[in-house]
Amino acid sequence: MNVVQATLSGALIGGLYALMAIGLSVTWGVLRVINLAHFGLILIGAYLTFQLTTSWGVDPLLTLAVTVPVMFVAGAVLQWLFDRLALSEFNSLLVSFGLLIITIQVASNVWSADFQRMDAAVNPYATESISIGRLVFPVTTLLAFVLAGLVVLGAHLVLRRTFTGRALRAIAQDSAMAGAFGVDHRRLSLLLGGMMGTTAALAGTVFALSNALTPETAYEWFGVVFAVVILGGIGEVLGTFAAGILVGVISGVVSVLWSPATAPFVLFSAIILALLLRPRGLFSTGAVR
Amino acid sequence: MKPGAVKSRSPRGMAILAIVLIGLLALGLFGPNLGFPSFYLVLLGTICFWIAQTSSWNLLSGYAGYFSFGQATYVGVGAYTTAVLSGRHGVGFFWTVPLAAVLCGLIALGIGAVAFRLGSLRGEIFALLTLAVPFILSAFARINRDVDGGQGTTVPPPDLPADLDFQQFQYLLALVVAALAVGVSYLVQHSRAGSALTAIHDDEDVAEVLGVPTFRYKMIAIAAGGVLGGIAGSVYALQIGFVTVESVFGLTIPLFVIVMAVLGGRGHWLGPVLGAVLIVGLQDRLSSYGLDSWNAIFLGAILAVLVATAPDGLHARLRARPWAALIAFVVVCGVLAIANVWGEELDWIVAGMLAAAAAAIVLGSRRAPSRPVAAEPESTAEPEAADPEPADTADTAEPPPVGDVVVSCRQVAKHFGGVHALDDITLDIRAGELIGLVGPNGSGKTTLVNLLSGAFRPTRGEILVDGQDITRLAPHRIAHVGMARTYQIPKPFTSMTVRDNVATAIMFGRTPMSLRQARPLAEEHLATVSLGHLADAYPASLNLHQRQLLEMARAIAANPKVLLLDEALAGLNPAEVDNAVRVVRRIHESGITIVIVEHLLRVLNQLATRIVVLDRGTTLADGDPATVMSDPAVVRAYLGRQSHV
Repeated sequence: MNVVQATLSGALIGGLYALMAIGLSVTWGVLRVINLAHFGLILIGAYLTFQLTTSWGVDPLLTLAVTVPVMFVAGAVLQWLFDRLALSEFNSLLVSFGLLIITIQVASNVWSADFQRMDAAVNPYATESISIGRLVFPVTTLLAFVLAGLVVLGAHLVLRRTFTGRALRAIAQDSAMAGAFGVDHRRLSLLLGGMMGTTAALAGTVFALSNALTPETAYEWFGVVFAVVILGGIGEVLGTFAAGILVGVISGVVSVLWSPATAPFVLFSAIILALLLRPRGLFSTGAVR
Repeated sequence: MKPGAVKSRSPRGMAILAIVLIGLLALGLFGPNLGFPSFYLVLLGTICFWIAQTSSWNLLSGYAGYFSFGQATYVGVGAYTTAVLSGRHGVGFFWTVPLAAVLCGLIALGIGAVAFRLGSLRGEIFALLTLAVPFILSAFARINRDVDGGQGTTVPPPDLPADLDFQQFQYLLALVVAALAVGVSYLVQHSRAGSALTAIHDDEDVAEVLGVPTFRYKMIAIAAGGVLGGIAGSVYALQIGFVTVESVFGLTIPLFVIVMAVLGGRGHWLGPVLGAVLIVGLQDRLSSYGLDSWNAIFLGAILAVLVATAPDGLHARLRARPWAALIAFVVVCGVLAIANVWGEELDWIVAGMLAAAAAAIVLGSRRAPSRPVAAEPESTAEPEAADPEPADTADTAEPPPVGDVVVSCRQVAKHFGGVHALDDITLDIRAGELIGLVGPNGSGKTTLVNLLSGAFRPTRGEILVDGQDITRLAPHRIAHVGMARTYQIPKPFTSMTVRDNVATAIMFGRTPMSLRQARPLAEEHLATVSLGHLADAYPASLNLHQRQLLEMARAIAANPKVLLLDEALAGLNPAEVDNAVRVVRRIHESGITIVIVEHLLRVLNQLATRIVVLDRGTTLADGDPATVMSDPAVVRAYLGRQSHV
């Protein structure tokens, strides 16, 4: 029973991982930018939710009305910056690493380096849970999973079915050629950057619901989120979702069967194996991305 | 590397290094007795630690370009080895240092063995992989609480020699380690390994095809980096006195190392030293003014701004504008000292250094684009003007006689998934031949070149060179057997001069030699392809024709038996084609068997002794040019469909 519970809880938490990873994966796959500053956006989103809720007693989910537009703009501005600097893929990793360090330090200067958690009085979601038989699911993880599912479905439909999505995929394959056929790379990349900023806002709010915040957490996300991105296949929306669930399940089951501390050990060993065997992602069909 | 910089080991550089080292040693030994404040020694010790770390990181990540986010692996393992063994098991400090070195070297080899075997490994993936390793190790240390008792470990200071206090001791130790790291970094840069790593940095596939055993050199670099990082980590444990998982496995260590290396410059041994001095100085001054919370902001900003504006780093800029930097330093430092309204000596020095760095970076960038290209004007229109050899002999000289079979393809096939790029090719190449390989686009010509040079392995069949099966050999071994190739799109080593591009190929060719021996030979090969006047230029300043000639010079530099020219005439104007044809003929007359992939049948009719036509992965015709060209099947498949050729 423990294992069933751990599997299902892990899968739900995996939704949060996927939500965090999707922005990174799509900007990497489509725009060739490895945007570590995305972690900074998630962090600031989480802190904004915390601050608005704590100061004015707003319902945490309503703070999305603020964080989503703010992060949309922030994501678009970041993308504009990367566009202007015309960085290579690798240099984008370094520049955004610099930006992430600044963000984390600023968060630390503003909100202090201590752990902070929303008060239970203003955050009704943290303590509620839904039980089905003997299985118990916290509302926050359910929420994360549902949001992640919606975002993934939305992103998948946009990329596959709409004109904009087709243009974006054209950019991903050959941005110069797409430009020659009239695809406005700059405008679309701003739009995409904004959309990925939005996913960061969602991830940040959901994270703040169930976790205590400290600026250093952004570093701790690195391992798991990159595991999800690489396992899912860079730029693959559905793959990211599946990989998030897989990573969540592995961590959950390993935590129950052995101990929580062994989870990262097993996880990263799994990633290295996966890199050796399926370097393009677990679910890739072998096609060139 | 600046143009004109002599890359060979200079006794002067060694002497300066030795003098600086002796000076710093003397400072540690006698400074405190002469009133040198001991907190300076602490600061210098910290600088030494970071110099050692960054230099060790630079071996693989700077020279070879494989960026690692995992320097904390070595710091952590080194520090933990020393802390746990000396703090909890009573092992003497000096015994733990070599243990740390060995352990870190083994871990580095393990990482390398996994990472560098990945077929499609890209720099970004390597960076993320190395990022994961400290996470795994720190998780391991946290799980197994009996490693460090769960709380961290105090490192007991070792027994000190009688007349040294602890500050002096830790400074001298750090200095020795830093000197070791810088020394190794210096020696590697000026050795064969340095040339190999630079070639890997510029284009790993090309390096391998030219005969550089890339895997071996990457393993050497990662292992040396691991050993040095481990030694420095072990000494670091003593410096900080109390070791916890967070303090040695954290992300701040790779972050610092990367910022220092990016700031200082990664292609040269001095870059990491400069970066470490500046960053540690800045950090120290910021915290002395209570601005610790701004540290990370400055670091992040330096990293982001420098990568975007001055990716070549401070070292190259300083070499471009040494006097401007010196003047900036003297002026800022002097004005602050004379005015004496703010700060103390150290503030003035750090401010002066920052001013010098800023001056060099800003002014150096203006000079950088105007790289001194060799003075001769472009000579493509009249290539003979610069041609030192009598080219007219080409048409009259007898081609070398055709000899024994050199290369033999037996029923070679290559499939990509369901696509049969090549099916059942059987082909003998005899010494002295000049074979034209033609066929419509997609007929498998380049695939055949890739199979012959070892870039791909055939799905079926075998390829023999002088009777030896090469299908299982790594490309660099195939190069040593005597196969060389050029690329349709030239791939020069961009950070080397034209001369060193060729010299590198000679160094790792069939008769290994040093850079110094290789350079004069490189000039001969450049003369063969009429590029002698551009020996000091950088590939970026060459036009397409010159780059293709450079490709040829580099390919023949390895002293091959067979040269594969992949569309070496594509995109050239008629005058350039004529010049290239003369060069090919000259190479052929020197006794090298040539296979040339080309679409221009006019050219092949003049050049080739034999023509092989491929169509949809099979041999359609094979014989002397006149017969092949009149074969109805060839006309139908090739000329008929592409009558515009």
